[in-house]
Amino acid sequence: MSRPIPNPQRTALPTRRNFLRYAALAGSALLLPSCARSQGNPTLDPSGPPPAPPDVHIDIAEVDWELSPKKKIRTAAYNNQIPGKLLRVTEGKPVTIAITNNLDRAEIVHWHGQWIPSDVDGSMEEGSPMILAGASAQISFTPRPFGLHWYHTHTPAHRELKLGLYSGQFGVLLVEPRANPAPYDAEQFLVLHDWEPYFVSSDDGSEMVDYAVSSINGRTLGHGDPIQVKEGQRVLFHIVNASATEPHWLSLAHHQFQIVALDGRPVPIQAKVDLLRIGPAERISAIVTMDAPGIWILGETRARFRNAGMGVVLEYANRTGKPLAPAEAPLHWDYRIFGDSSPTAHAPDVTVPLVFTSRFEGHGALDRWMINGKSYPDSEPILLKRGLRHRLVFENRSKDDHPVHLHRHAFELVSVRGAATSGIFKDVVIVEAGSTVEADLVADNPGDTLFHCHQQDHMDSGFMTLFRYA
Amino acid sequence: MRHAWLALATACTLSVVARPALAQGNYEIQVYGAETQAPGTTMVELHSNFTADGQKQFIDGVDPTNHAEHETIEITQGLNDWSEVGFYIFTSEQSGTGIQWVGDHIRPRVRIPERWRWPVGVSLSMEAGYQRAFFSQDTWTWEIRPIVDKTVGRWYFAVNPALERTWHGPDVNLGVGFSPAAKFSYDFTKQISGGLEYYADYGSITNIASLHNQQQQLFPAIDLNVSPKWEINFGVGIGPTAATDHWIVKGILGRRFDWGRKTSQ
Repeated sequence: MSRPIPNPQRTALPTRRNFLRYAALAGSALLLPSCARSQGNPTLDPSGPPPAPPDVHIDIAEVDWELSPKKKIRTAAYNNQIPGKLLRVTEGKPVTIAITNNLDRAEIVHWHGQWIPSDVDGSMEEGSPMILAGASAQISFTPRPFGLHWYHTHTPAHRELKLGLYSGQFGVLLVEPRANPAPYDAEQFLVLHDWEPYFVSSDDGSEMVDYAVSSINGRTLGHGDPIQVKEGQRVLFHIVNASATEPHWLSLAHHQFQIVALDGRPVPIQAKVDLLRIGPAERISAIVTMDAPGIWILGETRARFRNAGMGVVLEYANRTGKPLAPAEAPLHWDYRIFGDSSPTAHAPDVTVPLVFTSRFEGHGALDRWMINGKSYPDSEPILLKRGLRHRLVFENRSKDDHPVHLHRHAFELVSVRGAATSGIFKDVVIVEAGSTVEADLVADNPGDTLFHCHQQDHMDSGFMTLFRYA
Repeated sequence: MRHAWLALATACTLSVVARPALAQGNYEIQVYGAETQAPGTTMVELHSNFTADGQKQFIDGVDPTNHAEHETIEITQGLNDWSEVGFYIFTSEQSGTGIQWVGDHIRPRVRIPERWRWPVGVSLSMEAGYQRAFFSQDTWTWEIRPIVDKTVGRWYFAVNPALERTWHGPDVNLGVGFSPAAKFSYDFTKQISGGLEYYADYGSITNIASLHNQQQQLFPAIDLNVSPKWEINFGVGIGPTAATDHWIVKGILGRRFDWGRKTSQ
């Protein structure tokens, strides 16, 4: 039997503040054992035609996971594996996904980077229904755009560091393009995550989250399968930072990364770099030409993260020896080297200032975060006008870097720290402390759209707002 | 740097203070926080304590504390994320004696790493050293100091139930003394915290001194968290018992140096 779940927009506003209250409705899961939703039809009439059989099943459940033989954790994950299984879908070809929530709390799965309707995007703030404890749901959408994306939980955690993105609820969604952005011989998926979080006091006096363990593809350095390569190969690395809060810096000694796409979108200039900075929720697609035979560590350039497990061994065929780690290098990253240096040719129709500030709540508390002086859910939605080009001006007046994410759309970087660029389309951009980034958004996907910092502790503390089509 | 109360963790308290009240030293007046210095960092602190109203008589050849200005240099090196070692140079300046070297101490300390995710901060300090007999009859002393602290929102709490032992001096036979310290404070702003510090010496744990002979001090104190590299603490202490210096003004100025330590970005 398949019955719809109530549309929360028609009942209570499903904010993160009332998440627990909303989750408490999980008891009603007994009455609502499953639900089915399709693109643009969030409240299917149960008497209507049955939903299409699912192409993909996602089971959410607790799993005992071995990051290394000496480090075992218990966390929520998808399909009993970390990361969740790789979902390969085709752009423009509808997909139906069945999700079963075996946890004792409500959950929701967000399809990060996909331009899909609000009711299936996987954000309760936009109106996507949560999947109650013990319940199932079935959703359908047409994947777009192509590229490297991911799916993950979108529940708050607050001070419960086993919830939200602190857990193992994430996986790669690869939307196959009609044509590959660049020729390659092999591909590898690398999903970064940090584990065993705890609160510490930050340098600026406020509380923050740090981690005891880091991993790539669910294993600490030395405990996952090594990447096997051959000399001369061009290997396309699909890298997703699924950390709840940490940006990571990756390098591979004696090799360079040729960036072909950021957040799944091809870049105008496929520049080569020695070092990758990848913020929480960002994705990088990069080709490495295997021209330095040896045994290497592809991992964090910062020793403390690499020692915590952030790395994977890369082995050339017929080579043996101890893997060599990348040397620590100055941490530098500039999005603009992948874009056109000329300003965008389009003038904005509307300018939307978005000022990021924080309010101190005590040395033993997380700061309260605000956009334009308001914390979610106390803020009013920002209105978008369909078809118009909105220039989003991200002004970060805080002392933290923020990887801000816009759901259901991509934006084009227009300027970074006052320097013009164009042609780089992203859905996450790190706005460094004290800096301003401008990005153009063409409002072409109606429906409520969430904008937030992708650091779990920041979004839990009010750093989000809703864009609403006028 | 962590916030200032935790950054103050590199110091010690009344460790030079011998149990007999009349030998009160007041070279370092600080409640430990549980945090240790990060590896690759060095904290250099200057403790300045002025006894505005203290012991005015020479007793058993020990210099009186009244109007004594005590300057202590403390250098603490972080070893790893769970240990540090501190070194102290104690000095005293008083009318008629000029600036005098008093003694030196060394203080290793270990802590429960934050990654263990204990609900409270816990560390254990040991301190040993020498002080000249002109300033303390007990010339060689040792101290073990458990430290527990907790920050909740704007509130901070710390307790240091320290135990002391004299290795050389008249108090050798007194056994182990109990010298607890405690603190609570409130974050008025990100930069300014204020609260109350408590220091005491109850004498031997097997023979607690009478209240009259106990040392009891209360310090209303503020901490200024102006920069991760600096720590600033200021307080005025009141000693209500006969065995305690009655008025003390204390200040701590600390500067942290990073020796190539990379902060996360």
